[in-house]
Amino acid sequence: MTAIRRNGAGYLFLSPWLIGFFCLTLGPALASLYLSFTRFDLLNAPEFIGAQNYVRMVTADPKFAASMKVTLIYVVFSVPLKLAFALAVAMVLNRGMRGLPVYRAIFYLPSLLGTSVAIAVLWRQLFAADGMVNGILAQFGIIGPSWISNPNYSIYTLVVLSVWQFGSPMIIFLAGLRQIPTDMYEAASLDGASPARQFWRITLPLLSPVIFFNLVIQVIEAFKAFTPAFVISGGSGGPINSTLFYTLYLYQEGFSYFRMGYASALAWVLVAIIAVFTAFSFLTTKYWVHYDD
Amino acid sequence: MTDAVQQMPGHGSSHPRLTGTVRHVVLIAICFVMIYPILWMLSGSLRPASELFGGDAGLIPSQVTVEAYSNGWFGLQINFGQFFLNSLIIAVLATIGNVLAASLVAYAFARLEFWGRGFWFALMLGTLMLPYHVTLIPQYVLFRSLDWVNTWWPLILPKYFAVDAFFIFLMVQFFRGIPKELDEAARMDGCSAWRIYWKIILPLSMPVLATAAIFSFIWTWEDFFGPLIYISEMRNYTVQLGLRSFIDSSGTSSWNELFAMSVLSLVPIFLIFLFFQRLLIEGIATTGMKR
Repeated sequence: MTAIRRNGAGYLFLSPWLIGFFCLTLGPALASLYLSFTRFDLLNAPEFIGAQNYVRMVTADPKFAASMKVTLIYVVFSVPLKLAFALAVAMVLNRGMRGLPVYRAIFYLPSLLGTSVAIAVLWRQLFAADGMVNGILAQFGIIGPSWISNPNYSIYTLVVLSVWQFGSPMIIFLAGLRQIPTDMYEAASLDGASPARQFWRITLPLLSPVIFFNLVIQVIEAFKAFTPAFVISGGSGGPINSTLFYTLYLYQEGFSYFRMGYASALAWVLVAIIAVFTAFSFLTTKYWVHYDD
Repeated sequence: MTDAVQQMPGHGSSHPRLTGTVRHVVLIAICFVMIYPILWMLSGSLRPASELFGGDAGLIPSQVTVEAYSNGWFGLQINFGQFFLNSLIIAVLATIGNVLAASLVAYAFARLEFWGRGFWFALMLGTLMLPYHVTLIPQYVLFRSLDWVNTWWPLILPKYFAVDAFFIFLMVQFFRGIPKELDEAARMDGCSAWRIYWKIILPLSMPVLATAAIFSFIWTWEDFFGPLIYISEMRNYTVQLGLRSFIDSSGTSSWNELFAMSVLSLVPIFLIFLFFQRLLIEGIATTGMKR
C-alpha cells in the first residue's frame, strides 16, 4: 500500500517532465527521424522517399559539404584556442591574488552577453572595412581587409568571438584547480621540479577530468552555434558560404525553403556527429583522463 | 573561500611582489582588451551618425548626443518599448515555468523513491546532450497545428514541462545536499511529500532557485532562434528580433542607432550580472555550465 502511494507521489512530481519528455522531446525526435526519410514541405503530407535525403547530402549537395567544412573549421580552431586561453588565465588567477573576484567577473561577462544579437552586431562592426580593428591597424600604417566580407577571413572573426567568451570554461577550470592539493606542488618544489614540469606532471593530469568535461561541452556548443553567423551574414551564411554554419544551413533548408524532410535529416546527422564525437571522447579517456579512485 | 585561494602555491618564485605586479599588469591588459569592444559600442551609440565610422577606434566622441537613442527607439514601425515589454513578459513567464517545473521534478529525483527512478534519471541526463534541432521541426508542426505560430506560447509553454534538463540537473545536485533527516523527521510528523517540498526543500534552496531563475531569464532574453522561427508579426517581436529587423532596415547609415538599441538590449543582462554575479559564477563552478 505504502509502495503504491510512494510511487504515486514520485510520478506526480515527475509528471511535468514526463509529459514534456514524451510530447516535446521523444515524440518529436522520433517524428523527425521519420520525416528525415520523407519529402515534406509543411503544406502537403510527408512523402516517403527512403534514404534519398541522406544520399543527396553526401553526393549532390555542395552546400552541405560547405557548411560541414565551415563548422569543422570553427570547431577545430575555436575550441582549443578558447580552452587554452581559459586555462592560461585560470592559472594566472589561481594564486591567492588580490582582486580575484573582480577579474573573474570581468572575464566572465562576455560569456554572459555573447549569444545576444547585440554582440553579433558589435562584431560585425568591429571587423567591418571601416571598423574598429582596421582603425587600430591604421595607427600602425596597416590597411586591413574587410574581414567580414572577405570569405577568407570571415569565419575567423567568429572564431575570435568564440574565444572572447572564454570566461565560463575558465570558471570551471578555476574550480578544478582549487581541488588540486597544494602539498603536491610543495613536495615537487622541494624536489626541484621546475614550474613547467609541475604543470605537465601535476596540473594537467589532475585537471584532466575538468579539461575533458570542458572539451565535450564546448565542442557540442560549437556545433550548435547559430546567432553570430546569422547576424553577421544577414542570414545568408555568406560571403560565398564562408559563414554557413551547419545550424544556419539547417534553418535555411527548413524555414526558408520549407524542405523540412531534408532539414530533419540534417538534424539527425548533427545528432550522429555529436554522438560519435562524445562516444569517441569517452573511449579515449582511459589514455589521458586521470580519475582519482 | 578566500582562505582556500590564499593557500594556493606560489610556485617557488623568489620575487613574489614583483611577479605579483607583473601578473596584475597582464590581467588588467587582458581585461582592457576584452572590455574595449563593449566600451567602443557604448561610445559609438553616443556619437552623431556622421561621426561613427571612418575607422575611428577611439573611445571619445567629439560630441556626445543621445539622438541615436531617441531615433533608434522609434526607428521601426513599432517602437522598441513594445519589444522590451514583449521580451520581459516572455522571459518572466518562461523563468517561472522553468523554476517551478524543474524544482518539482528535481525533488522527485533527489528525494522520492519510486519505481524506475534510475531509468528516468538516466533518460533525463541523456536529453542534456540532445541538440534541440532534432525536435525542432516536429515541434513546429505541432505548434502550428495548435495555431500557436506567431504567438508566444511555443516560447513559454515548454518550460512548464521542464524541457531544459539542465535546470533539473542543477537542482538535483543542490537538493541532494540538504540533510535527509529533515524530511524524514517531517514524514514522521505526517507531512505529505508536497508539504516537505513546499515547506522544507524550497525554502532551503533559495540560492539554487535564484541561480536557475537568473540563467533562465538571461537565456530566454537572449534567445534568438526560437523567436526567429515562431514570431512573424512585428508587434509580437522580442528585443533580439527587433534588433535584427533594425539591421535589415537601416543598412549602414544609422549604425549609431543600431548600437544604441544594442546597448539597451544588454542593459538588463548587465544589471543582473552586477547584482548577482556571485550566484552566476558559483552556479557555473559547481555544475559546469554550457556557456
